[in-house]
Amino acid sequence: MGNEALVMENVCKDFKVLNRHEGLKGSIRDLFSRDYKTVSAVKDVSLTVEKGEIIGYLGPNGAGKSTTIKMMTGVLEPTSGKILVNGNVPYENRTENCENIGVVFGQRSQLWWSLPLVESFKLLRDLYMVPQKEYEQMLELYRSLVDIDPILNKPVRQMSLGQRTLSDILAAFLHNPAIVFLDEPTIGLDVSMKDKIRCLIRGLNQEKNTTVILTTHDMGDVDALCRRIVIIDKGQKIYDNDIDHLKNYFGSYRTLKLRLSDDTWEEMLIDESKTDVMDVIMKKQKEQKIKDIRLEEITTEEVIKKIYEGEAV
Amino acid sequence: MEQKKRGFRFYADIYKKILIQDLKSKMSYRADFIISTFGMIMTNLAGFVTFLILFKNFPSINGWDYYHMLFLYGFSLVALTPVQCFFDNNWNLRFMVQSGDFIKYCFRPVNVFFYFMSEVFDVKGLGQLAFGVGTLCYAWYHIGIPVTVLTILKLILFLITASLFMIAIMNAAAATCFWITGSGYVMVIMFRFKDFAKYPASIFSGIFRVVFTFIIPIAFVAYYPSLVLLEPANVPLLSWLSPLIGLLFFYLSYKFWMLGVKKYDFTGS
Repeated sequence: MGNEALVMENVCKDFKVLNRHEGLKGSIRDLFSRDYKTVSAVKDVSLTVEKGEIIGYLGPNGAGKSTTIKMMTGVLEPTSGKILVNGNVPYENRTENCENIGVVFGQRSQLWWSLPLVESFKLLRDLYMVPQKEYEQMLELYRSLVDIDPILNKPVRQMSLGQRTLSDILAAFLHNPAIVFLDEPTIGLDVSMKDKIRCLIRGLNQEKNTTVILTTHDMGDVDALCRRIVIIDKGQKIYDNDIDHLKNYFGSYRTLKLRLSDDTWEEMLIDESKTDVMDVIMKKQKEQKIKDIRLEEITTEEVIKKIYEGEAV
Repeated sequence: MEQKKRGFRFYADIYKKILIQDLKSKMSYRADFIISTFGMIMTNLAGFVTFLILFKNFPSINGWDYYHMLFLYGFSLVALTPVQCFFDNNWNLRFMVQSGDFIKYCFRPVNVFFYFMSEVFDVKGLGQLAFGVGTLCYAWYHIGIPVTVLTILKLILFLITASLFMIAIMNAAAATCFWITGSGYVMVIMFRFKDFAKYPASIFSGIFRVVFTFIIPIAFVAYYPSLVLLEPANVPLLSWLSPLIGLLFFYLSYKFWMLGVKKYDFTGS
C-alpha cells in the first residue's frame, strides 16, 4: 500500500428510476410498470487522495457529490469502477471500512440525542474499541484546540447548532480515523463559529495527519482549509488541481466595486484582457457621481461560479 | 492493521451500556415517563376488562374454559414484551428512511440492525410484562399445572419462542418501508393482528388457520407454544417444532430487513 488514503478508478453510479405517468390511470399503470429509465449520477470519476491532504470536493446541487461520498463510505455500491479507502473496498467490507473513517453531515447529528456529550464519547470509544489511553490523549488534544469543557456535560438536544456541529466533528475524529468526510460542516453557522470549526479541522488534520474530504458550498471553508479542489458537475469530474492554479487561470479577472451617490455598492466582474477597467469607470461616472472605487482580485466564490456556469478550464 | 473482533460479548456489553444511558436520560423526562407508564397500564386494563366481559357471556370458547383462556392471555402479554421493549425503534424506521436520517446507522463498525434497535428501549413494555406475569401465575395456579424445574424451563423456552414470532412479524412489517411508502399501514395492521394471539387458533378455520400459522404466524405468539404446558398429554408436532420455526422466522425477517438496507438508495443529501 502506497501513500494514498483514497483511490477511485473510473467509478460510475447509475440509478434506476421509474418513469412515472400522470393522473390516476398513470399511477395504477406505475404499480405494475417495469418501465425504468437509468439515470447516471456519477460518470467515470477517477480520483487519488494522498494521506494527510484536505481536499475540497465541490459541485453545484445535484452534481453527484453526495452519491460519491456514499460510495466512499460503503453505503452505496458503485455500478462499475474501483474504490479503495485505506486499501479497503468500502462496499464489500463495510464494517472494516467504518473503523477507518469518520463522517459528519452538517445538518444531521449522529450522536445520541438525549445523552450528554461525554457519554456519547464513551459509547463511541467502546464501539470503536479505542484503548482508554488513546481516548484520554484525544480528549487532551481536543481541549488544546477548542474549549470543550462547557459542552461536555450538556445533552446534545440542548445544544446550539454550532455546538452540535462541533460535537459531531469531535466525535468523528475520536477513533483517530485515517479519513474524515465532512459534508457541509459550516452550514447555517455564524461567522465566529465557522472560524472556530475551520481552526479545529485544520488543527486535527495537522496533529493527526488525517485526510479530510470536505464538501461545501461555502468558499470561506475552501479558502481556509483546502489547497486542492475537485469539482464535479453532472456526475463528471471537471476540475482537479490546486486552488491557486484556478485563480491564475482567471487571473485577468478583477472585481470592480463602485460606491454610488446613494451609498450603495455596485459590483461587477471584469475580464481585463477584454475590457478596460478605466473605460467602465469613466462611463459610469458620466451617469452619476462615484464616491469610492475599489478594485479587487477575483474571489474563490466567483471563480467557482464561473466554472459551474460552464467556463472551461 | 489489526483486526478487531466483535463477538457476542462485545454486543452484549455495548447494549448494556447504551441501555443504562438511555434509562438515565429517560428518568430525566419524569412527566413523560409517568404519563406513558400510566397510559400503558390503562391500555392493559381496558384490554383485560374487555376480556372479562367477553367471558361473562361466553363461559367457554371452543372447549377452552376461563382459566385456560386467561393463561393464553397472560402468555401472549409476556411474549409481546420483548418486541415492545427491545424492538420499538421499528416504528421510527420509516420516518428515518424517508428523511434520509437512516444513513447515520451505516457509519459505525457494528451491525446496522443491532445499532438501530439498540437506540431505543421502551420502558412501557415493563408494565405489560408485570401484568402478563401476574395473569399467567393466577391462571397457572387455578389450572393446577405442577411447578417443577421442567415446567418452568419449558415455560421460559416457549415464551422466548413465542416472542421471536412477534419480533419477526414486526421486523418484516417495518422493513417494507424500504420499498413502499405506505408501510405505516402495514405495521399498524400487523400490530393489530397481535390481538388474535390471545385466542386459541383452533377457533379459526380453513384458510385463516393456514394464514395465521405459516404466513403471518400469529398462532405461534401464544397458542402453539402454550399447548406444551396446557395439554402436556397431547402436544401437537407444531408446538414442539415452534422454537426452530421461531428462529427461522426471526432469521428470515432479519435478512429481509438487511436486504432493505442494501437495496435502499439513500437518495437526497
